[in-house]
Amino acid sequence: MLVSFILITLIAMFGHSEDFLGTTLLSRPLVLGPLVGLVLGDLSQGVVIGATLELIFMGNIKVGAAIPPDVITGGVLSTAFAIISGKGPSIAMALAVPISILAEMAISGLFVFRAVFNKRFTVYAEEGDYQKLQRLHVLSGILKPLLMGVITFTALLLGADVMKSFLDSIPPWVNDGLKVAANMLPALGFALLLNLMFNKKVAPYFFLGFVLTSYLKLPVIAIGALGVIVALIITDITHKSAPTDDDADEGESPVEPAPELPKKTIRSLFFRSLALEANFNFETWQNSGFAFSMIPVLKKLYTTKQSMSAALTRHLQFFNTSPYGSTLILGITAAMEARKSKSEDFDEESINAVKTGLMGPLAGVFDSLFWGTFKVIAAGVGASLAIKGNVLGPILFLLIFNVPHLVLRYQLTFIGYNTGTRFLQNLAKTNVMDKLTVGSSILGLMVIGAMTATLMNITTPITLGSDDTATTLQSILDQIVPNIIPLGLTFLTFYFVKKNMKPTWLLLGLLVAGFLGSILHILA
Amino acid sequence: MIKLTRIDDRLVHGQVAFTWVPALGVDCLLVANDKVAKDEFQKMTLNLAKPANTKLVIKTLADAIVFLNDEKNGKANVLILINSIKDAATLAAGVPAITSINFGGIRGKAGSRLISKAIAITDDDVPVLQEMLQKNIELEIRQVPTDSKQKVESLLDK
Repeated sequence: MLVSFILITLIAMFGHSEDFLGTTLLSRPLVLGPLVGLVLGDLSQGVVIGATLELIFMGNIKVGAAIPPDVITGGVLSTAFAIISGKGPSIAMALAVPISILAEMAISGLFVFRAVFNKRFTVYAEEGDYQKLQRLHVLSGILKPLLMGVITFTALLLGADVMKSFLDSIPPWVNDGLKVAANMLPALGFALLLNLMFNKKVAPYFFLGFVLTSYLKLPVIAIGALGVIVALIITDITHKSAPTDDDADEGESPVEPAPELPKKTIRSLFFRSLALEANFNFETWQNSGFAFSMIPVLKKLYTTKQSMSAALTRHLQFFNTSPYGSTLILGITAAMEARKSKSEDFDEESINAVKTGLMGPLAGVFDSLFWGTFKVIAAGVGASLAIKGNVLGPILFLLIFNVPHLVLRYQLTFIGYNTGTRFLQNLAKTNVMDKLTVGSSILGLMVIGAMTATLMNITTPITLGSDDTATTLQSILDQIVPNIIPLGLTFLTFYFVKKNMKPTWLLLGLLVAGFLGSILHILA
Repeated sequence: MIKLTRIDDRLVHGQVAFTWVPALGVDCLLVANDKVAKDEFQKMTLNLAKPANTKLVIKTLADAIVFLNDEKNGKANVLILINSIKDAATLAAGVPAITSINFGGIRGKAGSRLISKAIAITDDDVPVLQEMLQKNIELEIRQVPTDSKQKVESLLDK
C-alpha cells in the first residue's frame, strides 16, 4: 500500500506542478482520476470518478485572485479513498467537496507567503543576477507541489484505514442518497457556466443543444461539431470580406518590427511562458514569471550588468494576465526591448505602459475564450465518454483543449514580436473580437445544453394510479420533454447563481436536496 | 442606473468582463480616468476587452461626473471603473448617486500595505477613505460578485 500512497502523492504533486506546465488542464480530476485508478489497479473506476468530479467542478475556475476549491488535492484524495474502500463515484464526490475546500485554504496561505520572496527577487534584479532570479522563481514554484504532496501523503497515511472503516459503516440508504446527489451536482457546474455566457441573444443555442441531444440522442461530440458550424454561419466569419490594407500608413504604431533576435530566442518566450504562474502570489502576482520568461531575450540584448539589472527590475513590476494570451504580450515586449537596446532615446517607461495596458484587456479576452469555450467543449466531450468508463475521455479532453491552446499560444509569441501592437489595432478596428465572443458563446452554450440532457441522470420513481393501470410519472414526462428534470434543476441552480449565492452553499444545497429527494422517493 | 462603482487598477479585465457584467446585467461600462481618456493606445486595448453587447465609454473624471449626473443617461445600467482611491473620492463627491464603492484591485507600490489580498493602500489614502465613510459611502471589498462583502473600515487598522 505504501508504494501506492507514494505514487498517488506523486500524482497530486504532478497536478500541482501545472503552474510550470502552462495551465494545460493536466490537473483536472478527469485526468488525475484515471491516473489514481491506474495506480490502485482499477483504471475504469478512476475514469468514471474523474468524470463525475469534473462535471461537479467544471464551473470552478480561477479568475484573478478568486481562488476556487482545490480540486487537485480534493480530486486525488477522494478518488483514492473511494477506490481503496471499494465505494463508487458518489462517495468520491461526498469526500471531494470538503477536502477541496480545506485544501484551498492551504493554497491561499501559500500565495500570501510567497510574497516574502519578493524582496529577494528585487535584490537579484538590482545585482543583474538573472541566474539567481530564475532559480528562485523555480524554487518558489516547487513549494506548491511539495506542500500539497506532504498534505496528500499525510492524509493517505492517516486517513486510508480510518476512511475505509468509516465508509464501510455507512448504511446503504445513505449511499443511495449520495448517488442521487452526485447526479444532481453537475447542475451547479452548468449553472456557473451559463452565468458566464447566457443572455437573451444566445439563449436559443442552449436549447438547440438540449433538444438535439434529448430527442435525437446525438452525442456531445456531434453537438460540438454542429456548434462550430452554427457559430461560423451566425457570425458570418465564412463570408468575411477581403481585408483592407488602407491603414498601413495611418499613424505610427508604438512598436516597429525588430527582427534581429533569433527565432530560437523568441521561441523560448513561449516555452518559458508555461511557467508564468509558478511563483503566483498576492502581492506582485505573475511578476517573476514575466521576468523569468524574458530572460533569454534580455541575455541577448544586454551584456553589461547595469543594463541587465535595469531590464530585470523593469520586468519585476506587478503583472497579471491570462496565461493563454501571455505570449502575445511577451512577444510585443521583446520587440520593444530590442528597440530600446539599440536606441538611447527610447522611452523605457513605454515598455511597462504597454505591458500594463494590455494585461487586463487580454486577460478578459483569453480567459473567456479558453475557460468559457474550449474548456467547456473539451470537458463535455471528455466527460461524456469517461462517465461510461471510456479511457478516450481524458485523452480527448486534453487534446481538444490543448491543441488550439498550444498552437495559438505559440503563434501569438511571433505575432506579438513581429507585428507588435499593430496587430491589436487591426483587431480593434474590425469587429473580429465581437464575432469571436458571440461565436464562442454559441458553441459553448450548445455543448452545455447537450450536457444538461445527457450527463445528469436524474429521474423520478413516483407512480401514478395503482395496480394494472399504474404508470410512472417519468414515462409521462419522457413523452413530453425527455430530461426535463435535469433541465429544470439546472435553471433552478442558475437562478440562485444569478442571485449571487455562493457556489459552496449551492454545492451543499444540492447535496442535501439530492439526499432528501432519494430518501423521500421523489428522485432517483 | 449605477449598478456598481469599482476601483480596479486594471480597469476592464477578466473579473469585470467575466463575472461582474453578467452578474449585474450591465449594458454600459464607464471608465473614468484622466490619463486613459487621452491615451489612444489604452483606449484601443480597453475596447478589445469590452464584453460583447456592452457599451464602453471612456471619459475624464470631470466629463464622467457630467455624464453620470445627466438624467438622459439614467436608463443605462452602468458599471463605473476607476483605478485609484483618489479618483473614487473625486467621483463620489461629484455624483450624489454613488453611495457605495467596490474595491476590486489596487496593486502594491512603495510605502503601501496590503489590507486584503488584492488591495494595497498607503497612509495618504486613509484620510480620504475616512472622509468617504463619514459621508456614509459604503466601502466594500469583493473581487467577484459571489465573494462576501468585506468592509474597508474593519481593515484600516491593520
